[in-house]
Amino acid sequence: MAVVLCSQTLILFWAIICCALTGKPGNVLSPNIIILLMDDMGWGDLGVFGQPSKETPNLDAMAAQGMLFPNFYSANPLCSPSRAALLTGRLPVRNGFYTTNAHARNAYTPQEIVGGISKDEILLPQMLKKKGYASKIVGKWHLGHRPQYLPLEKGFDEWFGAPNCHFGPYNNSFRPNIPVYKNREMVGRFYEEFQIDRKTGESNLTQIYLEEAFDFILDQIEMQRPFFLYWAADATHAPVYASKPFLGKSQRGRYGDAVMELDDSIGRLLKALRFLNIENNTFVFFTSDNGAALSSGPHESGSNGPFLCGKETTFEGGMREPAIAWWPGHIKEGTVSFQLANVMDLFTTSLALAGVSPPNDTTLDGLNLTPVLLNQDPGALQNRPIFYYRGNELMAVRLGQYKAHYWTWSNSWKQFKTGINFCPGQEVPGVTTHEQKEHTMQPIIFHLGRDPGEKFPISVLSEEYQDALSRISPVVEQHKKTLTPSVPQLNMCDVAVMNWAPAGCEKLGKCLNVPKSAPWKCDWPH
Amino acid sequence: MIINSDRVVYNQSRGFFCPQGQAEPRHISRRSRMDYSRLFFFNILLLHTCSASPPNFVLLFADDLGFGDLGCYGHPSSLTPNLDRLAEDGLRFTDFYCTSPVCSPSRASLLTGRYQTRSGVYPGVLYPGSKGGLPLNETTIAEVLKPLGYATAAMGKWHLGVGANGTFLPTKQGFDHYLGIPYSHDMGPCHNLTCFPPDVKCFGNCDVGVVTVPLMHNEVIKQQPVNFLDLERAYSDFATDFITASAKKKQPFFLYYPSHHTHYPQYAGPGAAGRTLRGPFGDALLELDNTIGQLMITLEKTGVIGNTLVLFTSDNGPELMRMSRGGNAGPMRCGKGTTYEGGMREPAIAYWKGTIGPGVTHEMASTLDILPTIASLAGAKLPPVMLDGVDMTDILLNQGQSKREAMMFYPTDPNEMFGLFALRLGKYKAHFYTRGASHSGTIPDPDCSPIAALKAHDPPLLFDLEADPSEHYPLPSEGDPDLEAVLERIKKIKEQFESSMVFGESQISKGTDRDLEPCCNPTCSPKPSCCHC
Repeated sequence: MAVVLCSQTLILFWAIICCALTGKPGNVLSPNIIILLMDDMGWGDLGVFGQPSKETPNLDAMAAQGMLFPNFYSANPLCSPSRAALLTGRLPVRNGFYTTNAHARNAYTPQEIVGGISKDEILLPQMLKKKGYASKIVGKWHLGHRPQYLPLEKGFDEWFGAPNCHFGPYNNSFRPNIPVYKNREMVGRFYEEFQIDRKTGESNLTQIYLEEAFDFILDQIEMQRPFFLYWAADATHAPVYASKPFLGKSQRGRYGDAVMELDDSIGRLLKALRFLNIENNTFVFFTSDNGAALSSGPHESGSNGPFLCGKETTFEGGMREPAIAWWPGHIKEGTVSFQLANVMDLFTTSLALAGVSPPNDTTLDGLNLTPVLLNQDPGALQNRPIFYYRGNELMAVRLGQYKAHYWTWSNSWKQFKTGINFCPGQEVPGVTTHEQKEHTMQPIIFHLGRDPGEKFPISVLSEEYQDALSRISPVVEQHKKTLTPSVPQLNMCDVAVMNWAPAGCEKLGKCLNVPKSAPWKCDWPH
Repeated sequence: MIINSDRVVYNQSRGFFCPQGQAEPRHISRRSRMDYSRLFFFNILLLHTCSASPPNFVLLFADDLGFGDLGCYGHPSSLTPNLDRLAEDGLRFTDFYCTSPVCSPSRASLLTGRYQTRSGVYPGVLYPGSKGGLPLNETTIAEVLKPLGYATAAMGKWHLGVGANGTFLPTKQGFDHYLGIPYSHDMGPCHNLTCFPPDVKCFGNCDVGVVTVPLMHNEVIKQQPVNFLDLERAYSDFATDFITASAKKKQPFFLYYPSHHTHYPQYAGPGAAGRTLRGPFGDALLELDNTIGQLMITLEKTGVIGNTLVLFTSDNGPELMRMSRGGNAGPMRCGKGTTYEGGMREPAIAYWKGTIGPGVTHEMASTLDILPTIASLAGAKLPPVMLDGVDMTDILLNQGQSKREAMMFYPTDPNEMFGLFALRLGKYKAHFYTRGASHSGTIPDPDCSPIAALKAHDPPLLFDLEADPSEHYPLPSEGDPDLEAVLERIKKIKEQFESSMVFGESQISKGTDRDLEPCCNPTCSPKPSCCHC
């Protein structure tokens, strides 16, 4: 089958080369946009960010040809809210991807979740459609798996991937295996048609995702449409997987193998853009959804470099992300921007690149990064805060080099004692607390320039502390005053909403019996 | 910060649209090795046909700089554009080691290619009034190069002894010229000294009850106390003059610059102070980076850049006890004073325009290897002693494999009874003993702090440094035949090494004599405060 696919693609490819050679050069004003979003990959996993393993020659080369962002953040230390923020340009507390079941808990979209992305939220592909963009998501959606929440309802024209994490295998009686969709219908399930070998860690998924990306790009070139590709591969999320040629190839074990395969895929993708002669008309951005899941260590966890803790926490390790922007001829090669930026900026920036005005009557949290990217205003970094939310609580705020923690929490003693450690080897007394600790009256402040690892709080008696606080406090006050949280979407769970009978299951004979509805308030331990 | 990429070799003929059809991933190392071997032969050809004169060497040695402190090693807020450029255009090492987690012994090994236990520069470090120093019968890199007609100069922190009448100064160890502070710049009272402009006093007190730190030119004290704000400029000028003079005379040269940066107390002149996001440490590091930038300009201007190997590394891991003012070990465990990776794995860059191709190497190498490499490139004779270094020319020119099989980890106070604390063989590192250090105190990991007393491990604590560079997850070797075999090999190598090790007489145990402290006004009183010129 691979051979057939291959030759088909090759024929198509040559056809396109011919077209491309005779056609007019691409429109520079509305570039194609590719967002490469990794899953649980850490800041420290890239060679360019100091990882001593040799897994990312292509990403390092991408950085050498583009712009590196050492101060780039996710919107949340967990998948679903971070992804919802990227696609809406809004903080999870604004777009509804949070919970109020308990204070400051990370919530996401396991298959028992009832909610999903609200119909009131406008997603990036919906906006880009105004300029004729075709949009495809490849990989993990994670914004709700019930029919009304799926990608094609929210502006994407195509989808290949799954609505939830690739946990499993399940026995299909208490819990169904997660379906894999092609557009509106399922084409199989993980661990069934789409194998992930839990023993060996072997799976072809990254290769399939890459092929889906190529197919889409070739189609759009043929149709002469600008495109938006959201490539959300999930090989570095536990259970970590890689395809056979990569298994055992890295120094770091299975996790490193997965990083190597993703790096290789991205290298091939960028090479393809050059080959197709559209690299000067394609803006590519690489980042990750949250910090490395240190609690999955040692075998299935990445590295957060010098930063404290990881996924699930609002310390730097939970939310500082590797980030590279690439656009030959437009973004100066080999540059580094210390601009404080985040995934929500990708929404605003994409709109600016496409020439679409932002939606009216919606508060956006993202900045337009084009002045930084295109070096229109060199050196003039925009002074903006970074908000670190965990569920419904604003845990911390960064302004300039100062970060103030209003609440600290790693995980509960109960969880910690079961062996779940979000900060292995990094317990900072009074900071990585196992109770939710409030510091609102006297926030813990770090200078991230001098102390990126958040280990040495600035003395509250110092002038520096008072000065920093006096600048952060009004920002927090203003933020809280103007914030209108929307209805939380991640409060209710129900076995009946699981992926028992997704669209298309009849054709495959893969529909399962839907149990009786028995809703409960989801329990979010972190 | 810059960007460093492994050499990416694209195979144009391979169809990239057939991901499933592609049978195997790119073999980066194999393919680049092929590429490099061509480059290597070309280089050899070039070296032998074009350049009649032997190459120049510039050896840059930072102080207490950690694995994670440079932009190109992943520090998020350091500003090191010149070092990053050297890394981008040169070869960056990920597995490079010094030989001791503190200054003096590490420097002794660097200059002699021998573990410090042989030369006797242990335990701990030398002090201003130390009676001992690097023994004069040891052969330094400068002395290896002298017979070939090299001009040699050292500037900065010597820290291999002063001694009576300057017995151990650089000028007695093969260097024609010297400008610098002959030991650490915190080894004299500093609370009254200015570390940052306009008049920001140095942080803390430094060592009290000794003379203030002197600036020496050759064997003469030029300034006491030294003016920190002007020091880096003085070094920069000294280097420029030395390189320019040597180039003019067409004389090959060796410049050794062991910088005071980024050791405590951090200082910086007007060119760097307040210019980074990283506070005093960042400014000190930027000042070193600026000097390196200036040096590169001089090499370029004098036309010798194509014939000059520039090496950069650091003496030991970061002094974490300085907290926000200290360095950063990146993902490595602990720092200065310990035999964990953070104490001894160092950033290292080799740059040689037109001769060393850009890239990253994961080969194991050490400061010990610098002497044999320089000797090999210069065509110099190796000293007729037991050397611990191996020639790494093949890594530099060819991105070839390391000849180094193992790396030995001695504590700050090595002795024959305990022997090695740890040994790295391939990707495995076995700790026979572990111990925290005050230099690495204040960080959350309890094993790094001085409270962690000496602990013997039997079986040794075994780590896979490739999978777990942070040494977080000891491998359960008991009952695993493969790992047990690894441990057996490690033990055997340890035994062989230790049986061949002849401990030199400890130079530091000879003690100190107050009269040996450098004083610009030797007859004055009361000492030490009257030593002020």
